[in-house]
Amino acid sequence: MEDEQSFSDICGGRLALQRRYYSPSCREFCLSCPRISFRSLTAVTCTVWLAAYGLFTLCENSMILSAAIFITLLGLLGYLHFVKIDQETLLIIDSLGIQMTSSYASGKESTTFIEMGKVKDVVINEAIYMQKVIYYLCILLKDPVDPQGISQVVPLFQFTGWAVGLQRDSSQRGAVRPELLPLRPHPCRLDPLVVGERLQMQQP
Amino acid sequence: MACSGGGGPSQPPSPALSSVSPGSLPTCRSCSHNICMVSDFFYPNMGGVESHIYQLSQCLIERGHKVIIVTHAYGNRKGIRYLTNGLKVYYLPLKVMYNQSTATTLFHSLPLLRYIFVRERVTIIHSHSSFSAMAHDALFHAKTMGLQTVFTDHSLFGFADVSSVLTNKLLTVSLCDTNHIICVSYTSKENTVLRAALNPEIVSVIPNAVDPTDFTPDPFRRHDSVITIVVVSRLVYRKGTDLLSGIIPELCQKYPDLNFVIGGEGPKRIILEEVRERYQLHDRVRLLGALEHKDVRNVLVQGHIFLNTSLTEAFCMAIVEAASCGLQVVSTRVGGIPEVLPESLIILCEPSVKSLCEGLEKAISQLKSGALPPPESIHNIVKTFYTWRNVAERTEKVYDRVAGEAVLPMDKRLDRLISHCGPVTGCIFALLAVFNFLFLVFLRWMTPDSIIDVAIDATGPKGAWTRQYPSHANGDENNEESETR
Repeated sequence: MEDEQSFSDICGGRLALQRRYYSPSCREFCLSCPRISFRSLTAVTCTVWLAAYGLFTLCENSMILSAAIFITLLGLLGYLHFVKIDQETLLIIDSLGIQMTSSYASGKESTTFIEMGKVKDVVINEAIYMQKVIYYLCILLKDPVDPQGISQVVPLFQFTGWAVGLQRDSSQRGAVRPELLPLRPHPCRLDPLVVGERLQMQQP
Repeated sequence: MACSGGGGPSQPPSPALSSVSPGSLPTCRSCSHNICMVSDFFYPNMGGVESHIYQLSQCLIERGHKVIIVTHAYGNRKGIRYLTNGLKVYYLPLKVMYNQSTATTLFHSLPLLRYIFVRERVTIIHSHSSFSAMAHDALFHAKTMGLQTVFTDHSLFGFADVSSVLTNKLLTVSLCDTNHIICVSYTSKENTVLRAALNPEIVSVIPNAVDPTDFTPDPFRRHDSVITIVVVSRLVYRKGTDLLSGIIPELCQKYPDLNFVIGGEGPKRIILEEVRERYQLHDRVRLLGALEHKDVRNVLVQGHIFLNTSLTEAFCMAIVEAASCGLQVVSTRVGGIPEVLPESLIILCEPSVKSLCEGLEKAISQLKSGALPPPESIHNIVKTFYTWRNVAERTEKVYDRVAGEAVLPMDKRLDRLISHCGPVTGCIFALLAVFNFLFLVFLRWMTPDSIIDVAIDATGPKGAWTRQYPSHANGDENNEESETR
């Protein structure tokens, strides 16, 4: 069984969420963002080259032009290999654990596995991030010493967009200012997307 | 906590209450408001403003409104926290400049505040305390965004010295286009109206309150063989610690059975320690240091007489708390203090060592002759005076009125700034307002309101706080999926 929905990340970019149900105890959630677009690639290359030509006309040293070639190439390689993540996958197998895979644009994959025994809970948390306040999904790991405590918080879907738990909540009560609320057409609620999770509030 | 006892489901504001302002739009009568309280001062910092914000928010939540609080980060306490009843507190990572007040540039806080206002769908910004730079920032941004604004002033100012002149000018600028202002006493209202050159009609008086269940008398805790005078205040100049250091040796010489218990911390503590050292009063003057709010009652009930030596005070919570614990109150006659308690419960003196000593001697002689009413009866009188529910009810009326008012559009706001605040200041701040607006337009272009997601409403009985999600939601999930599509 498989279904696909589209969401937007915190910056308004598009994200696609695929859910695959292999069996009642095994599910996969896959969040992918669009591949690098030709337009942005061209824009960045042009900017670097224009800057290089500007410098070249000033000091007339052809080293600058060759340096610009190297910078563009290395930058692109580095970006594709280390920065740009196309897809993040969360595989959950009941009683076994949670596997997180991120695939980079170059094809590199990195995988982390967390045993179910270590997982205390999966929660949607709220945080201040840059100049924004965002929701994000995270796994709480048990503290081996203190069974009630939390040793670590592992954020999920960090790179393709924190924005997993976020959809519009149209069930909001109270007055809504129309000018503040150009709601998008798609219906909204905070959907408990992953695992058997619930919205858990931080206790005071 | 004032509202924990209520327990019952919150009622929508009753129609009788909402009929305050005949001019307001009928649609806003019954609707609940989304209120954002902004102040630099909030827990874990302790003080009158902090508990005012907390208790008022709790009672407003109980009345069915959505309330969030925005303050700056305190040390490790940053990010988003939830307090009782799903009261959400944003601790923003802004730099603290002086005295727990954040630095202001009027611009740097706009992105975060705007994000919060939009995602929480805030309709009314309620700022607290004129010392708080963040509160003024929020007012400024809210007006730029076209939200309704309310401001509560908790303190009194002078008019003479340079710092007051400057603060008053800033207050004039900040309040000239604010929808409504709340003061805690009539003295404070007079002061604010004069300082900020306001129209008195948009200034309301709503006193502070105490939670009478937290401050109950306990006559068995005090020793009747000696007389104990309790002082609980921050030990700073404003609270008259210097007067206190003059009173202690004089009275201790006169009455051998007199003890002092002093709670609180501050830069002037050193003076009291010197006095204690010089007159060898170690066994009779106890300095307790900083007190937590929950310990205050335990200190108060140990005494017979409560002494307040404040030099300026808009509304003194401490004397109400003390009277609620059944103590005889001796206080300076400054600011709004004479309005707070009826004459039978308080002895008012001039703010001088001599007058305060006379007042204390009068209280001591009354105590020795047994002329004072018993603590229980004082408590029963005081507990009817100031309750948080009453404060919330009155504040709600202000919100209802404000919700019906129009926010000044940009051009009128600029006119108001230039005509109200003098040619130079007015023009400067009008320019800043224009910059702020341009910055807001830029931010709206960078992150449109439509991509900011709506926060879940955690407050109140129907909030997400109390809603339980089933832990194995297989059956539920299908329903939810179909709804999502």
